[in-house]
Amino acid sequence: MSPIRVLIVDDSSVMRKIVDRSLRQAGLEIKEVFEACNGVEALARMQQTRVDLILSDINMPTMDGLELVRQLQAVENAKGVPIVMITTEAGEAHVVQALSSGARGYIRKPFSADQIKERIFPLFQE
Amino acid sequence: MDSVTQIESRNRVQLIISAKSSGSGGRGSKLPGLPRAETQKRFTRALENAAIEVFEMMVGSPLCSSDQVTLPLVADYTSMIGLAGDICGVLSFRCSNKSAGQIAAKMLGTEERASAECTRDALGEICNMVAGAFKAQVTDIIDQCMLSVPMVVSGKDYQLYPLADGLRIQISKVFEGDLIWITLDLHGG
Repeated sequence: MSPIRVLIVDDSSVMRKIVDRSLRQAGLEIKEVFEACNGVEALARMQQTRVDLILSDINMPTMDGLELVRQLQAVENAKGVPIVMITTEAGEAHVVQALSSGARGYIRKPFSADQIKERIFPLFQE
Repeated sequence: MDSVTQIESRNRVQLIISAKSSGSGGRGSKLPGLPRAETQKRFTRALENAAIEVFEMMVGSPLCSSDQVTLPLVADYTSMIGLAGDICGVLSFRCSNKSAGQIAAKMLGTEERASAECTRDALGEICNMVAGAFKAQVTDIIDQCMLSVPMVVSGKDYQLYPLADGLRIQISKVFEGDLIWITLDLHGG
């Protein structure tokens, strides 16, 4: 797998750092990491940048992760880019909502690097 | 900073945290139909497991057991998050200034002292994740429960009055040699 460009969307800067570190610990080769602290910032980023993977929280101010996933459907740069939700809200209703909105996977916080590996790697082997 | 609400207690303040607001659909808490003692035991175990899981996975430092459950009169940092739905209440996390700094530094993966902003952010996330992990432990008895935005209070000169009139679940653990406290105050029963 060649090095990838990742967009991490979370309103917590500490959590963005943890996700970044966990991706690297999981053995993912990262070319570049972009960060956004809500859906609006992520959408703006995606208008300008092409990434290989988007990891997003759900509960965020201004625009939440579920709305972001829906709005990304209309963004040319996001076409075919896997979106994985990383959130504390891991109830069945949230999982169904996220997957039906277009997310390709779901990771519950707290998570380990192994869980990241388990959920992310298959997305690049499909 | 991020969406964590911050309060710095420069002057003595009283924080009255009400767990009486109704949950989804205007309902109050619906504590599981178990005997109170059984619910207390089950929730205590779930809260302990949640805290252990969060610290192991996200802080990278295991929590050790402590028998000292009594809440401190003063804690340098208190982070809180509201729960609403089948159960309504407030989960709070308290720790010393030293522990707060260590938690933030470990979460950031640095040995340097984290900024005050990052420390508050980290403690808000700890509270958020412990509440989320607690919910995940009791999904068989709680269907619907939403979490609020976390709030972090720094400073010692305040008192907390949770107006929940239901169960109080309180645990303490040892983190890097110092005590930390987690409390879940639930309304109803």
